[in-house]
Amino acid sequence: MRDYLLTLVSVGLAALALYFLTVSEGSSGLLSALTLIFIWGIAAISLNLINGQLGILSLGHHGFMLIGGYVTALLMLPARERRPFRTRLLSDWARNHLDLDKWLRGLGLDVLANSIDAKFIIALFIAGLAAALLGIIVGAPSLRLKGDYLAIVTFGFGEIVRLLPNAPEVASFTNGPLGIKGIPGAAGTIWWTFLALLLVLWFFSRLKFSSYGRAFEGIREDEIAAEAMGVNLAYHKILAFTISAFFAGVSGGLYASYLQSVDTQTFNFFVTFFLLVAISLGGLGSITGALLGTAIVVLVRVYGGFLEQPNPAWVGYLSGAVLMLAAFGFSAYIRKARRLRPVIEPKHFIFGAVGAALLIVTIAFFKQPWMQQTVQFFGMRKMLLAVILILIMIYRREGVMGRAEFSWKLIFGPREDIPTDEQRQQDAWLSNPDLNPGLKEEGDDDASA
Amino acid sequence: MPLLELRNIYKAFGGLQAISDVSLTVNEGEIVSVIGPNGAGKSTLFNLITGVYKPDRGDIIFQGERINGLTPDQVTKKGIARTFQNLRLFTHLSVLDNILIPQHHRLKSGWLAAVLRTPRYVREEEQMKKIALEKLSFFGPRLMSFRLHQPVYVLSYANRRRTEMARAMATGAKLLLLDEPSAGMNPKETKEITQIIRRFRDEGGYTIVLVEHKMNLVGEISDRVVVLDYGVKIAEGDYKDVVNDPQVIEAYLGRRDE
Repeated sequence: MRDYLLTLVSVGLAALALYFLTVSEGSSGLLSALTLIFIWGIAAISLNLINGQLGILSLGHHGFMLIGGYVTALLMLPARERRPFRTRLLSDWARNHLDLDKWLRGLGLDVLANSIDAKFIIALFIAGLAAALLGIIVGAPSLRLKGDYLAIVTFGFGEIVRLLPNAPEVASFTNGPLGIKGIPGAAGTIWWTFLALLLVLWFFSRLKFSSYGRAFEGIREDEIAAEAMGVNLAYHKILAFTISAFFAGVSGGLYASYLQSVDTQTFNFFVTFFLLVAISLGGLGSITGALLGTAIVVLVRVYGGFLEQPNPAWVGYLSGAVLMLAAFGFSAYIRKARRLRPVIEPKHFIFGAVGAALLIVTIAFFKQPWMQQTVQFFGMRKMLLAVILILIMIYRREGVMGRAEFSWKLIFGPREDIPTDEQRQQDAWLSNPDLNPGLKEEGDDDASA
Repeated sequence: MPLLELRNIYKAFGGLQAISDVSLTVNEGEIVSVIGPNGAGKSTLFNLITGVYKPDRGDIIFQGERINGLTPDQVTKKGIARTFQNLRLFTHLSVLDNILIPQHHRLKSGWLAAVLRTPRYVREEEQMKKIALEKLSFFGPRLMSFRLHQPVYVLSYANRRRTEMARAMATGAKLLLLDEPSAGMNPKETKEITQIIRRFRDEGGYTIVLVEHKMNLVGEISDRVVVLDYGVKIAEGDYKDVVNDPQVIEAYLGRRDE
């Protein structure tokens, strides 16, 4: 009861914060960052079901998202965007018949057809179903393959799906490399994506803490044991692939609506790559972690732009020096906190020395022309992500959240896995003959029974 | 009618005849031990019964039903559960989850019902928890309170063994196959395991087949002992008769040079 109230209150507060963001000026950057976090968060949570909870490395998630994106785009494309010169490669049949608006009016459901939101809900659902169908097809080989081999198969699948829209035969449905433009942006707005994320969080946490979620985790922990305990491996693997693909398709549709266009480059392999980075950062197997990891990745990508601005060279040298000296100081701080001796490990002096050298160079040659020259480093955001990933893997391999989920009990208690003093005493009494004379007198037999 | 019956089972791995012409009947309420030197085919026999391997020839009949060719999860659903020689618990899951997973196959609600928490699913879930506690209480109160929610990897070795046995019981099986239940245990813990196996039969009503190397344990609890050597059944019967059988002595110690 308390937990439900707390959840309601915090969702309400989040919605209120979003409302103030939408009405205040100058927050469009933050809003679009949040929208991206919500959309990618849905994708990451769905990928987490396969990679984290089921324990199967799948690299084809961008394929599912692409299917969802294209299906949504085709179904939602408004009539004025369907004119031949805008959709050159699209066949007349696809142009005229793959139209949710017409379908609904054909069925006499004008009420739904008049509302773009209702149409989007239906379109996203169909997009999810299309992706789920492909999930079944990919899930099927997963019954025969394991580990790296399966990862390669899923990767191959993702690439096939990505390249397919370019093929001339398929282009009559996908408009080929030109992509589809002019998708309504309604579903890509902050409120839509926020509600979709809430729904996804609810669904996946309910799934995780159900008997089916436990079966998935059993398969991850030990496939042979899970099978020996009556878990049908084939059914549960395909089920997980299907559910995951469904929500990947939905997130693909939301993303297509956010961009208002979709083409084959929208969902390339880097999409899966970033999702993988996100769930590894946040903690494989944790829904909270997947969302947290996505937030980190998106924020670095959106707000890391300053790293790639043109700057005089000395800025680079100086920040190198600061980073090195910070690493030096931080390592000393950690060793001190852990009471390790010596406080500064000899090899950590390398950081200090390099940092000091860079600092001296910066100051000594500050006036030189090569120090004032403007340089620009591209790809710094990706590099920063890579460095964060390396650090997490070294210092906290299981990710920020590990396998744990956020829960109110974690903060306010009671923690059922930590014994109370009373339980501790009972436990000691059960096994320690000094406390429990009964154990001694009646011999070992009773002590162990 | 015997509970489990093996009829002339053969199994070869490439050129190695791991099991040849082994027949075995296990009656309800019996404790049958399978012994034999290393590589005699004891574990292969278990894997054949549980569906990990399919026999090349022969039939496996459980409760009058032919079960060879079934997958391990189907065999478990029929009512045969096993423990593993070197513990195969779901290490990062809690003790309770470990005992709940084997009950999953009895769940009637679909996944959508589970997500929506329909009344029937909630009832089933409660029933599962009740059974889990009932199975764990077999081992006294030590796994019952806070340990229930602790991950398995923090447990002691003996507690993990207990958890694994509770897990096998929770599948709802009638026949338990225990693969070296006392491996890696000290004499005191072995004694406890001996008692527990006996209580499985007397209080739980289970039928038990076990593979074991510790002869004092085998001698103490077995109703019948089956000896395998090079995949062939060389002796069967009472413990005392079997250990005095010249063929068995030869299999274990070799022939005396005369």
